[in-house]
Amino acid sequence: MRVIDRCAFGNALRPIDPAQKGGLAFLAIILCLALDRPAVGVATLLWMLALTTWWAGIPLRVFGRVLLTEGLFLCLSVASIALSIGGEAPGTMIVGWKIGALWISVAPESLALATLTLTRSLGCAAALNFLILTTPLIDLIELMRRVWLPEGVIDVMALTYRAIFVLLDSLERMTTAQDARLGYATARTAMRSAALLAGQLFLDAYRRNQRMQVALESRGFDGTLRVLPLTYQRSPRIWQASVALTASLMLAGMVG
Amino acid sequence: MSVVLEFDNLHYTFPGSETPALCGASLRLEAGCRIVLLGRNGAGKSTLLLHGNAILRPSAGQVRLNGAPLEYTRRGLLRVRRQVGLVFQNPDDQLFSASVLQDISFGPLNLGLSNDEARRRVAEAADLCGVSDLLDRPTHALSGGQKTRVALAGVLAMGPDILLVDEATSGLDPWMRQQVFGIFNRLVERGATVALATHDLDAAQHWADTIVIMSEGRVIAAAPSAQIFGDPELRALLGPGREWGDCL
Repeated sequence: MRVIDRCAFGNALRPIDPAQKGGLAFLAIILCLALDRPAVGVATLLWMLALTTWWAGIPLRVFGRVLLTEGLFLCLSVASIALSIGGEAPGTMIVGWKIGALWISVAPESLALATLTLTRSLGCAAALNFLILTTPLIDLIELMRRVWLPEGVIDVMALTYRAIFVLLDSLERMTTAQDARLGYATARTAMRSAALLAGQLFLDAYRRNQRMQVALESRGFDGTLRVLPLTYQRSPRIWQASVALTASLMLAGMVG
Repeated sequence: MSVVLEFDNLHYTFPGSETPALCGASLRLEAGCRIVLLGRNGAGKSTLLLHGNAILRPSAGQVRLNGAPLEYTRRGLLRVRRQVGLVFQNPDDQLFSASVLQDISFGPLNLGLSNDEARRRVAEAADLCGVSDLLDRPTHALSGGQKTRVALAGVLAMGPDILLVDEATSGLDPWMRQQVFGIFNRLVERGATVALATHDLDAAQHWADTIVIMSEGRVIAAAPSAQIFGDPELRALLGPGREWGDCL
C-alpha cells in the first residue's frame, strides 16, 4: 500500500487534474467492455502499461506486481469457466483428463469464453491500476467532492485515509516493541502477541480518535471538515491520448 | 502590560476520575509575553491549556479573555478559538488531512473566511513556519519535525493573539527545536503571547520571560525567569536539572 501511495504522489502525472485521468481510465473500461473482444482487452492492457510506465514514470515492476496480484485472482476465477467436469466424455474438447468416473475437460467454446473474460478483466484492471498509481487518494477524494458526493461520505473517506497511515505507524512500533522482547520467537508466542497487538491497536485507535476530536474542536470544528479545494493542471495530451486510445481500441475490436 | 488571558480559581475533574486535575488554578497571561509552564507529569499544565481554548469548561472558576468571561456558545467558542490557538504534543493527533495544504486551511475556513483569504493565510502561515515547500506533500510522508511545524502552521493560519503550546517541542532535535522557538519569537515580536507547557528547563531559563510552576492542579509560583532560577528555594521546585550527583 505504501508503494502504491508513494508512486501516486511521486509520478509525472500527479499535477494533472484527476478528472482527466479518471476520464481516460473510465473511457478505457467502457471501450473494453463494450467492444468485448480479447484483442481489445490486450490492447487496453498495453495502452495502460505504456501510459503508466512511459508517461507517468512508474517502474514497470510496480505495475507488474499490482497486475500480477489481480491476475492471480482472475486466473483462479477463469479456470472455473474453462474447465468442465462431467460423468461422460465431452463431444469436443481441446484437452481432457479422466479421473475415476469423472471427466475434467476444456472445451473450445469454454476456453474462448475464459480467454475473453480474462483479457477483458485484465484490460479493465490495468485501466484502474493506471488511475490508482498516478492519482493519490486525496485527489480522488477531491474528484468525488466535485461530483457532489455527500460531504459526510467524503469526510469519512478523508479521515480514514489519514488514519490508515497513523495506525500503520502504531502497528509497526508495537510490533517492533513486541519483537524486541521475543514476542514472535515461537509460533505460540507469535499468536499471543498478534492477539494482544490487535486489542491494543483498537484501544490506540480509539484514544487517538478522541484526541483528534479535541484537536479539531480547538480549530473551530463544527461538524463539517472544511478544506481548500486542491488545484490541478489541465493537460491537452490527455485528450490526445483519449482520441488515440479510442481509435486503436476500435481498430483492435475489428481485428479480433 | 495588559492581561489578555486570565484563569481565575479554576477547578476541574475529568469524568470518571476521582482526583481533580485542577483545584484552584489561577494565572494571568500578559500581552507579548513568553511564558513557560513547568511542573511534574499530572500537575495540570495540559488541563489548564485546554481551558484556555475552551475545550474544557471549568466546574468552578472563570476563564477571561481580554477581561470578558468566556462564552461557551457556538459564537463564543468561535471567538475564543480565533484569538487563542492551541498546539498539541503529538502532531499526528492534530493533522487530520493527508494533504498539508488542506490541513492548514481547515482553521481559517472554520472562521468563515473566503477561499482566497484562506489561501493567503495558508501561504503566510506556511512561510512563517518554513513549510511552504511541503504544501503539496502528503502528511504521512513528513518527518516528526516537519509535522510539528505543519501543525503549528495550521493553528497560526487562524491568526491567534495567544498561542498555547502543549509540549509540542519535546522530541525535536536541537536544530528543529531552534527553528520552532524562532517561530515563537517572531510571533512575540508581532505582539502575540506564547505560553508553552514543557519539561525543558533550558527553554525555561533562556527563552521565557515568565515561568509558571504548577503542582497538583494549582499554580504554585509565577515569576520572571531570572527570579526563579536565582532563588534556590524556587529553583528547587523545578526538580533536578543538571545536578546529576544523586544519579551517578
